[in-house]
Amino acid sequence: MASGTKSKGAGAPKGKASAAKGKGVRSARAARTSVVSTKPKPWGTIIAVIAVLALAGGVFTYAFVQIHEKTKWVVSADNQDPSDQIPGVVKVKYEGAQHIDATQRVAYDKSPPFGGPHDGVWADCTGVVYTTAVRNENMVHALEHGTVWIAYNPDQIKDAALDKLKSKVEGQQYTMLSPYPGLDKPISLQSWGHQLKLDSADDTRIDDFVNSLRSNQYQTPEPGGRCDAADPAQFDVSKPPPFVAEPPGADAVKMDGTGAKKGEDQGVPTAPAVPPTDAVPPASGQPPASGAQPPPSQ
Amino acid sequence: MTLTDQHEDADRLPTLDALGRRRVLVIAVAVIVVLAVGAAIGMLITTARTGAGPGGSAAPDAESIDVGFSQDMRVHHFQAITMAGIARDKTTDPEVHSIAFDIESTQLAQAGAMAGWLNVWGQAELPAAGKGYMAWMAGSGHQHSGAVLESGGVSTMPGMATTEELNKLKTLSGKELDIYFLQLMLRHHQGALPMAQYAASHAGVGYVRNLAAKMVASQSNEAGLMTKMLAARGAVPLPAPN
Repeated sequence: MASGTKSKGAGAPKGKASAAKGKGVRSARAARTSVVSTKPKPWGTIIAVIAVLALAGGVFTYAFVQIHEKTKWVVSADNQDPSDQIPGVVKVKYEGAQHIDATQRVAYDKSPPFGGPHDGVWADCTGVVYTTAVRNENMVHALEHGTVWIAYNPDQIKDAALDKLKSKVEGQQYTMLSPYPGLDKPISLQSWGHQLKLDSADDTRIDDFVNSLRSNQYQTPEPGGRCDAADPAQFDVSKPPPFVAEPPGADAVKMDGTGAKKGEDQGVPTAPAVPPTDAVPPASGQPPASGAQPPPSQ
Repeated sequence: MTLTDQHEDADRLPTLDALGRRRVLVIAVAVIVVLAVGAAIGMLITTARTGAGPGGSAAPDAESIDVGFSQDMRVHHFQAITMAGIARDKTTDPEVHSIAFDIESTQLAQAGAMAGWLNVWGQAELPAAGKGYMAWMAGSGHQHSGAVLESGGVSTMPGMATTEELNKLKTLSGKELDIYFLQLMLRHHQGALPMAQYAASHAGVGYVRNLAAKMVASQSNEAGLMTKMLAARGAVPLPAPN
């Protein structure tokens, strides 16, 4: 056995290949069966090779799993969007920095919205638990600064489930929680360009979403954007601008930013404070219901 | 069986075809073994680098004092920035305005610097969800006031104001605002002190120890100043955080 292993380990000498070349096919064929039956398999070598492979494979797998577990939800240049690993996340590419004023509304394409034009004033996102539904246009601006917004259906999430969500938000920078009347799922998580709708506050994907996207410099249009509300006169955390349930009218700012009164780079408003006339005849078939447009109360 | 037998066996081996197949197999197995061992070694090196302490050339890892301090102190700083911003917006007292603006701008810049380090180290800018705070100070023997979580962290850091306290600060004005701001900020500075002190002496990276030491020095000075300002306004500090 030992000698068999040794000779196997040494391999067939090179010259033998050419020697074999001259042999007749017939005699070779005849010999084959006897060779196969008489020559012992080099089990020692086979076992050694398998052992080395198994060891190497084991070490590789262990190390790979260690690294993967450590970095799975950590944002880095090599892992710019860890949320790609979360089942159910909806991603949309939105341009940042299109601003409107407090009298306007945006015809958002998603509910709750998670990107698009927004009010120049952002919602306070210093780990605020909002007890009332907040105006979308302010919330979206906070998303642009790297915030994760947890919205819940107040008819479905209450008591223990609500407490669980609150514990994930209160005092946590770049995080905010608010009720969202009419939400089509019990819970909806938003960050800029990302949304995940869930049924339960116990879903582990909530923490994964937060870790993947909160203050994520690769997914956030304005990394380092602040969370403190700039001016209490424009955004008061204890009395935030209210959510408007009615769909926006035809004069609402569109997702591409058309109809916005002020742009990020326009220091001075170019138009007088009168709604642009092109807003009157909408092609969308949504008549500007007289009651739909909120009065400029701010 | 002898070596010669083997050779004769090989001689009698049928075709080049069969022999070649066997040699290819041997070579292929050898190559696979070499590759597998190499890959395993490479992965081990990567693991070692990922987990390396800051003493080496590798970046601090997620459990290091450097990362824990940077993430937690950013959160601590953000609240100081919030409180200072409220005072700067609302106070009519130039001395309070001055210290509020100083604290706000300094800590905002420091929070940005720490975010930059964390980015370069491949770590999150903020503590992971549900992780709690200050697990990196486990070796300090310091008793924390917050509830201890499963992760070994605590639910809140010393000196942090509650949401109710922040909301109250927002409702105040005049001298009441000035005093309450000074009280909250003084306690906030006192709470940050043991964190910064621990990092100043135990962090692995020199620039982390440096910034932590600068926080200890400058916030101690500011704490002394705020204590005097409170006295000058006929008020006393809040109980120091434990």
